[in-house]
Amino acid sequence: MRSQTKLVDMLTKIETGKIMEEKDFDKLITTTVKDVLKKYQISYNKEDAINMDDDLADRLFQGGLEVAERVGIYCKSTHRQITYTRDEILEGLKWAPDSVEYGRSLDKVTVHTRRPEDTTPVVNFCSPFGTPLDENIYSKVMESYAQSPYVDIIYGGCYHKIHGFAPKTHSPWEVLATWREIEDMKSATRRANRPGLGIGTDANSVSEIGTLTCTSYDGFAKNDVHLACFISELKTDYTQLMRVAHTIKSDAVLHGFYNAIYGGMAGGAEGLALISTAGEILLSVIYMTTTNSMSPAHPFFNSNTAPEMVWAISAAQQALNRNTHILTTVMTSPSGGPATECLLYECATMATATTVSGTSRIDGVRSAVGVELNHCSGLEAQFNAECARAATGMTRKTANELIKNFQKEYVPFLGTNPIGKPFTEVYNLDTLKPTEEWKGMYDKVKSNLTSMGMVFE
Amino acid sequence: MEQFIKELLVAVEEGDIEGAVKSALDAVEKSNVDPLDYFENCLAPAMNELGDQFSRMEIFLPDLMVAGEIADAIREELVKKLDSVQDSNKGKIVIGTISGDNHDIGKKMVATMLGVNGYEIIDLGTDVDPMDFINTAKKEKADIIAMSSLLSTSMPFISETIEYLVAMGLKDSVKVVVGGGPISADWAQEVGADGYGHDAKQAVDMVNALLS
Repeated sequence: MRSQTKLVDMLTKIETGKIMEEKDFDKLITTTVKDVLKKYQISYNKEDAINMDDDLADRLFQGGLEVAERVGIYCKSTHRQITYTRDEILEGLKWAPDSVEYGRSLDKVTVHTRRPEDTTPVVNFCSPFGTPLDENIYSKVMESYAQSPYVDIIYGGCYHKIHGFAPKTHSPWEVLATWREIEDMKSATRRANRPGLGIGTDANSVSEIGTLTCTSYDGFAKNDVHLACFISELKTDYTQLMRVAHTIKSDAVLHGFYNAIYGGMAGGAEGLALISTAGEILLSVIYMTTTNSMSPAHPFFNSNTAPEMVWAISAAQQALNRNTHILTTVMTSPSGGPATECLLYECATMATATTVSGTSRIDGVRSAVGVELNHCSGLEAQFNAECARAATGMTRKTANELIKNFQKEYVPFLGTNPIGKPFTEVYNLDTLKPTEEWKGMYDKVKSNLTSMGMVFE
Repeated sequence: MEQFIKELLVAVEEGDIEGAVKSALDAVEKSNVDPLDYFENCLAPAMNELGDQFSRMEIFLPDLMVAGEIADAIREELVKKLDSVQDSNKGKIVIGTISGDNHDIGKKMVATMLGVNGYEIIDLGTDVDPMDFINTAKKEKADIIAMSSLLSTSMPFISETIEYLVAMGLKDSVKVVVGGGPISADWAQEVGADGYGHDAKQAVDMVNALLS
């Protein structure tokens, strides 16, 4: 791919950048973010649920460029700061892809660049991201996602245990887990009669070992989604860089993600928006990614649906989608779990906020913040997709008022650990249909959203 | 004392370490406040207030890190004013993110909050081998080993650390506390940890209770 010609240049910078202590890099982030926020007059407007100000979005993009140029990223393996000039950054963004195809045959889908308030439908990358699953129900859980026609691509959860053992990072158990993932994911798509459905690779691979394993003989396909990330904040290491090098040399599709921490080195909502914008720019340029995701985390709730974070994500998405053609994505990471209304209102908020802000693809749902055993189901992923479709072409003004109402329904529950129920209690394992309780809750919330003004297909 | 608390909070807001130390020294030298009284009735409540503000997300990690630096600088100066050498630290904690996990910020928030609350912190960073935790705790005579994991695939290394401590006969000499997204209180108890903190604020309360 023409955007990926700079691999050796990037790896050279990794070995020759300025030697720096990690704590000094952290301080550089804090001081630069404060300085740039002031220079570009970027501030959080808590009266709005999402950003409504195009000029602020454009200033945020310019601020993001400046942070990207002045801070760059830090490599923990070589203890070096990696910087790019403004020209190098703009050149990298210029060659970034503006579309990508996933899947095969009748299940092929294309992700396109979108702008705020775009009428092009968002693509749905559905997964319980990180949620631990019991080995004996893994494939059925994933089938519950694949069987929904609203789902465009799927990505697995994580095995709680494999052959009775925890799949420890960088161990032979990680290899076994990723091989089992291939079997379970492919059988899930076949049973759902969607053998061509695009799949995300190596959900069970924290180290490069799993990635290399599951993309070897008879593993995942080139145009399945391969992943690499920045470590918070704005850091990388050899594990991530091996993934990037392997994916690029394999001519495969690379999805980058960077999840900044709200209240962390960049501070509050405006700092989060700024560092998320800078991070996506740097992912696109340095990792030469195909798609770029942000899903910041709250330090106390672990989710990304607190009002300050929704505003920050919307502002960063608008900054990127008004000023570049890079393919942006956002993962819905709610506090609520299956069989809670909280989860559904959080999905409605995030899907609406990101769709009207120009996101190309929505990812998730990482129910109950992806840490509770078996706490996920295909129904919330379908619901997330349905809300995104309902918000396609909507104005930000309309979305802003809707989201304020959605937030009244879930914000009071964010600190209450509303994890809901596990898959085995919200789906019938024989029919793979949601239970009456869960389906009834879904119907009720959908009806409430309709009365608030959402128009579902 | 209220005036000194106010001056301290302003210094934190302005990132003014020198100003904070000067205010503390003035309290002791000019206003004849006993250094121990200053620790207990000015520094501790001010830091508690900042911790509460952080838990409400009214201030953020950089502010908390400045508060930690200020608290350390004041302690260093005021200890010199004590009649006899007394250890103003509430305990020594070896902290880090366990093997296979590079998540840093959450652990840093916990370490900073503990530091602000008077504990001596030895931060081993991320992707820390179980034996590094154990050897450092032995060498430093630490009161607590605090391990974080944001990945379910790294949690087994935490239980292994506890297994090693038991096998080496060291489990009774150091408390083990754990935290991180996928970790629950039940799991912590199951693997033999002495304490679990859901977030930075809870971690401080739990450590205070363990070492009281």
